[in-house]
Amino acid sequence: MSSVGIKGYAYSLNHVPEMGLHYGNTPYVERLTKGETEFLSKLPEHLQQYEDARDYAPNQAYIGGITLDEYETQPKPWYENRMTDAGRYGRYGEIMPEDEFLGLMDICDVFDIIWLERSFASVVREKLAKDPVITDKVLARLENGHDLDEINVEIEKHRALPLYFENNVVGCVRSGHEVDECLFPYVLLENLASKASAVLSVLHLLKNFDVDPGEIDFVIECSEEGAGDMNQRAGGNFAKAIAEIAGLVNSSGCDVRGFCAGPVNAMIAAASQVASGARKNCLVVAGGAVPKLYMNARDHVKKSMPALEDCLGSFAVLLVEDSGDSPVMRLDALGKHTVGAGASPQAVTSALVWDPLQKRGLTFNDVDKYAAELHTPEITLPAGAGDVPLANSKMIAALSVMKQQLEKKDMMDFVREKGLTGFAHTQGHIPSGVPYIGHACDAIREGKLNRVMIIGKGSLFLARLTNLSDGASFFIEKSSGTPAVGAVTKDDVKRLILEALGDIKDSLQ
Amino acid sequence: MGKFAGKKLLLLGERDGVPAPAMEAVFQNSGAEVVFSVTECFV
Repeated sequence: MSSVGIKGYAYSLNHVPEMGLHYGNTPYVERLTKGETEFLSKLPEHLQQYEDARDYAPNQAYIGGITLDEYETQPKPWYENRMTDAGRYGRYGEIMPEDEFLGLMDICDVFDIIWLERSFASVVREKLAKDPVITDKVLARLENGHDLDEINVEIEKHRALPLYFENNVVGCVRSGHEVDECLFPYVLLENLASKASAVLSVLHLLKNFDVDPGEIDFVIECSEEGAGDMNQRAGGNFAKAIAEIAGLVNSSGCDVRGFCAGPVNAMIAAASQVASGARKNCLVVAGGAVPKLYMNARDHVKKSMPALEDCLGSFAVLLVEDSGDSPVMRLDALGKHTVGAGASPQAVTSALVWDPLQKRGLTFNDVDKYAAELHTPEITLPAGAGDVPLANSKMIAALSVMKQQLEKKDMMDFVREKGLTGFAHTQGHIPSGVPYIGHACDAIREGKLNRVMIIGKGSLFLARLTNLSDGASFFIEKSSGTPAVGAVTKDDVKRLILEALGDIKDSLQ
Repeated sequence: MGKFAGKKLLLLGERDGVPAPAMEAVFQNSGAEVVFSVTECFV
């Protein structure tokens, strides 16, 4: 079987400005190493309210509040032209406010790591009860809360990290161990936030596509966090922990890592298991990254604009057998950035785009859209990191010219037609091609597109194990309309022989 | 040998732009010495 069906997808954001202010890596490290600097004193003035984040066009594009065609018509700069008709919920998920997210983190905590102040927990319970994906069973996991005095003792005497809402301490993240750095509060905060945001997208997928939680067979998680202890620093496993909270009682799971290339590699791993028949279905999921909150805020503050990196991103995609009625992910022509491919932009783009096109005898023009690194340009441009999706589209167009499939003068038309405007937060693995899967599948179902390519790239060199980067890619297209045929088994052969013998017998009679 | 001969180079690459190993390859026969080379990711 060379293709699997994409049955469902969900995308959510958690607006967490105060978590970012205190624990986003840029402000956190600056505070730790330099104290209260000018940047840190100015940053609070640049934080966005929940309504600002909700009404921000890229965020609405991410959760499916608007289509990408509608997104293209939104006036720029988006942060000065907020939408007036945006809601908390979109077709794919929601933008959850910070207080409710702290409650969701407590719901996802099975080791009493998160403590919430009693009255705060009570208010949050009422708010979360109104969220259509938070079931009574999920909500029952929320603790009743603790007295603020108890929380303050944890913070002052036991290294717990305070949790804030509206500038007040409303809870804390407790330490998981006396000496094990892997279980210190900052790491647990990061991991629980990633877990909780992932759970939110899983719950939206189950609801939006009417999937029975008990039907999920296997989960593959692909964030960039490391869960473990000092003997196995990133032993895992987020996938099963997420599945437990989401009620996926018949599933198991494992994690796939590869920096920002993790999600595309996880999609390939999941699809391969489904295609081989090893799993009936596979759910690919990732939550967000606390350290990346306000990663570029220093430049946003300098340029007197809002600090836009205030949301944790998450997604979930459900892969099933190709039954002919869902868009499919193809496995017969995957892009792979090999060790020997080289590091130049031309070499990388050749490996990820040209090679898979050649495998299938396709031209650059046979792909309607290329989705690589979908960072919101308003976040990255002020920081000097450029318009990342545009840069990637230009590289693909340039390669198309080199391969004599495009006239040089038509390059920018190619970029406009086949590229995408970024709409994802700078959450590392989250923007890496996968935010387009939902929009692409919708457009394919509606007959607006035939084929797209999803491309992920990962900065492996950041871990100081290799100088290499990585990348992977795959095609999504409309199903051929007939269920894919699996490998022929011995039983199939036996059945066919018996049927043939039966036919001969009938004809002889 | 061109204008880089005898120079010392610090190379800072970017993953979605030009990575450092690609720059190193460009300067390989320039007569310059690469004293530091790193690729970073700003997204």
